[in-house]
Amino acid sequence: MVDFHEFFVAILRSGTPLVYAAMAGVIVQRSGIWHLGLEGIMIIGACATIVGIVLTHSFTIAILAATLTCVAASALQWFVIEKLRANQIIVGLGITGIGIGGTAFAVEIIFGSLAAVSAPFGVPRIGGDFGPYSRLSILVLAMPFVVLAIWVLLSRTRFGLRLAAAGEHPFAARSVGANPSVMRLLAFAAGGILCALAGAELAAGSLQIFAQNMVAGRGFMGFAAVIFGGGHPVGSALAAAFFSLVGVAGIRMQIHFGAFVSHDLLLCLPYLATVLGVWLTSRTRRGTRAAAQIAELQDH
Amino acid sequence: MTGKLDAILRPLAFILLATLICGLVFQIAGYSALLMFDSILDGAFLSRRSLEKSLRWALPLFITAVGVGISFRCGFFNIGAQGQFYIGAICAAFAAEWMAGAPAAIAVPLGMLAGMAGGALWALWPGILRLRSGADEVITTLMGNFIAGLILVYVTSGPLKDPSGSGQQASTRIVPEEMRISDAGGVSPTIIAIAAAVGISGWLLVNRTAFGALAGLAGRNPTMLRFQGGRIWQLGLASFLISGALAGLAGSVELFGPSGRIASGSLPAHGFTAILVALVASYAVLATAVSALFFGGLFSAALFLPILAGLPASAIDLFNATVALLITARIALGSRLHRLPGRWRNG
Amino acid sequence: MTFGEITALADISIDFPAGGIHAVVGQNGAGKTTLARTIAGIVRPDTGSLHIHGQDIETGNVQSARRAGIELVHQSFALPPSFTVAEALEFGRGGGIGFFSRKELARRAGELLDTLEMDIDPDSRIRDLPIELQQAVEIARALSSNARILILDEPTAVLPPPEIESLFQRIRKLGDSGVTVLLILHKTREIEAVADSITVLRNGRFVAGPLPCEEIEADRVAEMIMGTETEKPDPGSGQSDGMTRPAHDGDPGQVKPMPSGPASAYGSALELSGVRTDDTAAGICLDDVTLSVKCGEIVGIAGVEGNGQATLMRVLAGLAGVSEGRMDVCGTPAGELTLAQRRSLGLRIIPFDRNSEGLSLTSMLWENWVAGELVGKPLFSLINPPDIRQRCTASMSIWGVNYSSVGQHAGSLSGGNCQKLILARELDDAARTVIAAQPTRGLDIGATSFVWSTLRTARHNGCGILLISSDLDELFEISDRILVMRSGRIVCQFGPPFDVVQTGRAMMGAAA
Repeated sequence: MVDFHEFFVAILRSGTPLVYAAMAGVIVQRSGIWHLGLEGIMIIGACATIVGIVLTHSFTIAILAATLTCVAASALQWFVIEKLRANQIIVGLGITGIGIGGTAFAVEIIFGSLAAVSAPFGVPRIGGDFGPYSRLSILVLAMPFVVLAIWVLLSRTRFGLRLAAAGEHPFAARSVGANPSVMRLLAFAAGGILCALAGAELAAGSLQIFAQNMVAGRGFMGFAAVIFGGGHPVGSALAAAFFSLVGVAGIRMQIHFGAFVSHDLLLCLPYLATVLGVWLTSRTRRGTRAAAQIAELQDH
Repeated sequence: MTGKLDAILRPLAFILLATLICGLVFQIAGYSALLMFDSILDGAFLSRRSLEKSLRWALPLFITAVGVGISFRCGFFNIGAQGQFYIGAICAAFAAEWMAGAPAAIAVPLGMLAGMAGGALWALWPGILRLRSGADEVITTLMGNFIAGLILVYVTSGPLKDPSGSGQQASTRIVPEEMRISDAGGVSPTIIAIAAAVGISGWLLVNRTAFGALAGLAGRNPTMLRFQGGRIWQLGLASFLISGALAGLAGSVELFGPSGRIASGSLPAHGFTAILVALVASYAVLATAVSALFFGGLFSAALFLPILAGLPASAIDLFNATVALLITARIALGSRLHRLPGRWRNG
Repeated sequence: MTFGEITALADISIDFPAGGIHAVVGQNGAGKTTLARTIAGIVRPDTGSLHIHGQDIETGNVQSARRAGIELVHQSFALPPSFTVAEALEFGRGGGIGFFSRKELARRAGELLDTLEMDIDPDSRIRDLPIELQQAVEIARALSSNARILILDEPTAVLPPPEIESLFQRIRKLGDSGVTVLLILHKTREIEAVADSITVLRNGRFVAGPLPCEEIEADRVAEMIMGTETEKPDPGSGQSDGMTRPAHDGDPGQVKPMPSGPASAYGSALELSGVRTDDTAAGICLDDVTLSVKCGEIVGIAGVEGNGQATLMRVLAGLAGVSEGRMDVCGTPAGELTLAQRRSLGLRIIPFDRNSEGLSLTSMLWENWVAGELVGKPLFSLINPPDIRQRCTASMSIWGVNYSSVGQHAGSLSGGNCQKLILARELDDAARTVIAAQPTRGLDIGATSFVWSTLRTARHNGCGILLISSDLDELFEISDRILVMRSGRIVCQFGPPFDVVQTGRAMMGAAA
């Protein structure tokens, strides 16, 4: 039983950053853009949180700084895609590169070495008497509520409907007086906040450490969760949870069964599932496709 | 003619802009940007030795980038060069393993073929999913990259594990000495010949075959080609296969050449840089060579930048990413007609 | 009382009285849609002003137009296809985050649909609705915010005939309830059926209106729309015989070289019998279309745009499926053939939109010119671009294309030269059957007459030509026969001498 709780805690711990990243991807995807910059913006959030804690010894200031930098990076991505009309996929990859390179650069400038930076404390813990759960951060606790809030925002408010209209049929959004470009900026800003939380949880949730390239593909996995979850907040959160379950189970199996099951091949499951999901949706409907150029999203 | 001039000036302008932005950032961060650019030039291009080192990175990049350029030219966003590179290297490694003891003159070409076949295979399934069902190739090839990365981890820690490995990084067994096509320096007549062959056949393919001309039209305006009765299925599949095969070839060159083995997680930015190389070159083969040399030089500079300028190696990553951010921007630069390939719409 | 005045397009001013149903009519490109979008604030005019009930409204601002009570129903509806009906009715409401519960949403949608007497399930998705219900939802959306002025942009263009009457009933009811309705229409019969007044636009200019409907005759309206009294000076020298070409651009007198293939004078170039399509998503379906084009003949297809011509083109090009009927190209059954195979039989296409379907504007001239030839070759066959460029250069000078280098982008050519480039590609020696869709749209007089004489020469050389056009002058000028297409059907046939009023009436569906 204890083992089960430990297992569940491990899933929550590794899954929470994925869920936050996926939520960022969901919101931006609603507005019509594929968020391939999740990885980069997430690592910026992770770096800013740890550096903030180390420099100011205040979690509040650190998380604010992380949010600000992530929103700024998201706004940059929006600007290049929307205003400079660059290809959204290449720009997403570019933002990822800027995040990974930029954080390594910043750490080296600030601390003078490439070594991992560790912070004296991290995100506040749940605390209390909940066994292994009390060691989890409050961001884990907040995660289901955030998912719920985003679901409400997207499916139960006019704002959400207009956001979806901006992504699906920009002319429709414009003819009811909502500017699709502004809607996308708002989506990117919200995505920036969520990426900051994802990065904060990843770096300061349990480890309290920032290392070079520490996101290690989790941003792209968050993006895969968005696709696999069909762009729906709850579906994508469940997809992210499934992905982290696979990851944790892989490690457990490695420990228990050793060489019998290859844990690396097991880790392929999320990606294979995503490919399968894309294939199935493209067979049933017109297919999931990104607009290469913002011109396709700016009406006729 | 203006089109050609534009295709040259445009990437140069963006590289200049990226240089300015990064220089500003470095200056603000307290480094001397001038010293940095000076040492990059020195260390990457201005001496025979440094040029050779740049070439070592530029050659595989060039081979992959020619393929990326062909698929982008055709309007398919195959961003899976990284995975195709890995799978190519893995297949070549398996082939080398099986043919241990065979004369190198047979084993190496066959190994290279196996690498090309592996890379092509890794581009084939996203291609079929894309052309048959309309599944977006961006997602499938991106996922393919991660799957290939994990397969590489599996192979290097399982079937092809090097028992003498230091434990730090799992890798395949070293290719037997007689099968190597270059030393660790990576610039040998064989590799140069392979790159030249790729360049020449790539150039011929783009400029002297029906495929090349039709691919250009398809990438710019698929609707028009459809009204001409173009066989889009054939065209697309060919472009996927060719780009995959070339990335696979680059992987096997790396295996038989400078590396001698393939370690898990090695050269993680190869595919991304190759995409940049192709974009900067506007998919023209000759320009790809120049652009590959440039980015290869930057990569090589990154290795000694900390020593020369006291600057972190990540500065180069930052510069590359800035170029990526800007290179596809469609700001009017003289000609308003310059366009990226459009994406295929609805199947 | 005056409620609106607008100065837009080519400096036009219109006063619509409050209340009633006002029709705005005109040909394609007359500026009706622009007018509608300008009033709704989607298009910002360069100069001019908009007054609603005497109040000045900021132009180019959807929000302020909607606050003033203006709502626009677009021709191709502006509803996201994945939305449910209830969501589609909700997303346009103004203000704030706008939280709602599912129940409340369903209740609001139900109430609105009930008051409008629309029987639509609020939970069904827009993309699953038939087109007339989509339109109904769009109208309901427009009325959800207490619209005082409702603009409908060609609401009948997409509807099957039985639905049109119920739309009109709905519009009349709205008119009775005090909403001012602006209707953009094409067909005189429909105008008579529903409108109180009529306003005519032509080529972005104001012609007349609003004129009370009962005071004006249908023929007079058709004349005003077509502009028969004035317009297009006849560019050809009357009934030219196809051998001489009117002077044009800078190279007068050059005789057009045309393939002089064996003119099997009475052979069949194109034969359609009983062709139907059933894919509604692709636009108006063809309904029992039977037509034949003989070699050495130009057959015109007249019709207001959007009556199935685009579908006909896609069917001929093999890009849309046929559910019933038979199609022969050059005497060979072509129903199952790919476009490449049809092309090898001699089918050539001059498509509707030369900028997207005809040419790749960002590719070079010679690439565009040679595309058709390359498509027929094996994929990896070697080509010789210098040779192609040379042949292209020769062809360009024969066809009198005004260009500087065959390496320049097609997009840098003028419209007329673009069309010549397409003609140079399509009217090669092997062309037997030519489909020419709106071949002179947007061209100046010189280029227009060039295209016409080229088509005449092609006819002379034995090509069978199907000319799809909504320009009656063009059809009358060069066709041997004219078929009129309306709502996906061929409704009647005319032989020379052609009569504008008669043809116009058939196009607009007025009682003969």
